[in-house]
Amino acid sequence: MQLQLEKRLHPSRLMLFIVPIGAVIMTMVLGAIIFTILGFNGLSAVREIFLTPIINPLKWQDLAVKAAPLIIIGVGLSIGYRANVWNIGAEGQYIVGGLAATAIALITYEMSGWWILPLMAIGGIFGGMVWVFIPALLRTKLKVNEILTSLMLTYVAVNLLNYLVFGPWKSPFAFGQPQTILFNEWQTLPYIIEGTIVQAGAPIAIIIALLAWLLMSRSLFGFQIKTVGSAPNAARYGGFSENKTIWLTLLISGGLAGLAGMLEVAGPFGRMVPQFPTGYGFTAIIVAFLGRLHPIGVLFAGIILAISFVGGEVAQTTIALPNAAVGLFQALMLFLLLAGDVLVHYKIKPIRINRVDKGQMGAKKQEEII
Amino acid sequence: MNIDLTIAIIITMVGASTPLLLAALGELVVEKSGVLNLGVEGMMLTGAVVGFAVAYSSSNAWLGILAAAFAGAAVSMIFAFLTLTLSANQVATGLALTIFGAGFSSLFGQPYTGKPIEIFGSIFPPFLRDHPILRVFFDYSPLVYFSLIMVFIVWWFLYKTRAGLILRAVGENDISAHSIGYSVITIRYGAVGFGGMMAGIGGACFPLILTPQWVEGLTGGRGWIALALLVFSAWKPARLFLGAYLFGLIATMEVYAKAAGGIFKILPSELWASLPYLATIIVLVIFSLRHKASSSAPACLGKPFIATN
Repeated sequence: MQLQLEKRLHPSRLMLFIVPIGAVIMTMVLGAIIFTILGFNGLSAVREIFLTPIINPLKWQDLAVKAAPLIIIGVGLSIGYRANVWNIGAEGQYIVGGLAATAIALITYEMSGWWILPLMAIGGIFGGMVWVFIPALLRTKLKVNEILTSLMLTYVAVNLLNYLVFGPWKSPFAFGQPQTILFNEWQTLPYIIEGTIVQAGAPIAIIIALLAWLLMSRSLFGFQIKTVGSAPNAARYGGFSENKTIWLTLLISGGLAGLAGMLEVAGPFGRMVPQFPTGYGFTAIIVAFLGRLHPIGVLFAGIILAISFVGGEVAQTTIALPNAAVGLFQALMLFLLLAGDVLVHYKIKPIRINRVDKGQMGAKKQEEII
Repeated sequence: MNIDLTIAIIITMVGASTPLLLAALGELVVEKSGVLNLGVEGMMLTGAVVGFAVAYSSSNAWLGILAAAFAGAAVSMIFAFLTLTLSANQVATGLALTIFGAGFSSLFGQPYTGKPIEIFGSIFPPFLRDHPILRVFFDYSPLVYFSLIMVFIVWWFLYKTRAGLILRAVGENDISAHSIGYSVITIRYGAVGFGGMMAGIGGACFPLILTPQWVEGLTGGRGWIALALLVFSAWKPARLFLGAYLFGLIATMEVYAKAAGGIFKILPSELWASLPYLATIIVLVIFSLRHKASSSAPACLGKPFIATN
């Protein structure tokens, strides 16, 4: 018996919820099998990566710290992906946002006041927007593909970071280490819960996800984005400007990635170092997809990916699993999610062999689906 | 400029261009069939780590290259299954493939970090490859000649054979190709597999012929530049060749700028390192100024196809 795909009239809402959960579960099952074949202890790997961070309350604060930047960047990316605008250079925008915040911290180093942190946040957002400005300009004016330009600029951002921390920004007190001076208390995020490492990034991430949810579900702008993405012709007919959508979605995603950069440099890092690019910008792509490009979904997906990061560190110390294994688990999760998505948009039907309607020869091309 | 330096620059340029050319030629065939595989970087990394591991363990570079080709094709089949059989979004799946390749290569490369390997250099006799002038023709790895032959073979296949015509037809109008009896999906599977093979070999160039060691993330975005090259070349093999060598030259400038001194010394080395990426953006801009609409791209690029009998 052969199987055939038949496009659903509407994406299945049930599948929309089941597929991501199924993908996470299948990642654990397949991950255990694959890592056992590769000569690791597959079952303990899955246990340490996916379960220990949830079961052990001591790890919860780490989850909050890791999830915050993933959620903030993921929310921004998901808004763009909804409109078929593919910013994949969030890592670069995150770096430049961090650099812009660092610049403000270096300028205000001798000063004090509550206004410094908000100024750094604005700087971070602005930095991220500057870095996405070029892809946005080229896409809207010249139809240059934003995928390639935003990614290329990520490599440039890494070089810019290296130039600054190895050169003009290098701290004179760091014994030759390439890093800036340590930020002062007015330039560092406060701890929101006494005795933990949770800083302001976590509540900000939740607020941003909620605001994005309101924006996407209650505003005309949200409707416009969804229409441009799912029915470009209808959007054009309805008078929604495609270029305006591209500008807004790219600036939002760049700005949020920049804000995440500021929250990291003023938070866990406390100074700028060459190790600042940790790959959050790339992992946030998985977060956006796993969260179904929905702000609340992204919130949960950010926590799941944070679990895998924290769990990866646990597995490194407890069962000596190389940290890179986490990347493989995350990629596997995205593959399974994309594979499962077929169930959202298509019905799988057996082909009946003795069909009579030979007149139906030919093929029906499907609209691009997300 | 003295002749020795010129020859040294040419040889570095050719080496730097080769992985780019191989990967881009593979992706050319993929995109001509109407499929957009953004996972070139991931397939290159996979080919690089597998190629290095096999070449290191067997002390045989040829085996390493063969394994790299196989590994590249194997991971490309994940992409093919998801996008062609399950109609998954090609952009998202390509990104997933790149993330996968990065994770896979970093995990499997770890035990090989710092291990030395003999460079897979020229196989010509010493009087040719060490000759001060003639070495500009003979002091290259066999992979360099392979990449040049492949430029011709890919051109010949796409434009001079019936199979190539069918492949292009599938990329330009999948519905018509299907209705006259060609299996769109099967042809695209083949194209994606070829692209994976070429990306795998291209990736293996890095640890086997450029820097004879394993370094994490050693492809440095070359897979993405290969994708940009296709746009730049308007999907034409000969222009692809020119584009790859232009980028090789730009990448070479970084190496020689440090040594040259003078005006080159004033600019920070990070700026030279950024040059290939900035040049990619500039090239994309120049192309779009010349061709207002991207009419040279295959018409069905990136769109899923579902046959209804």
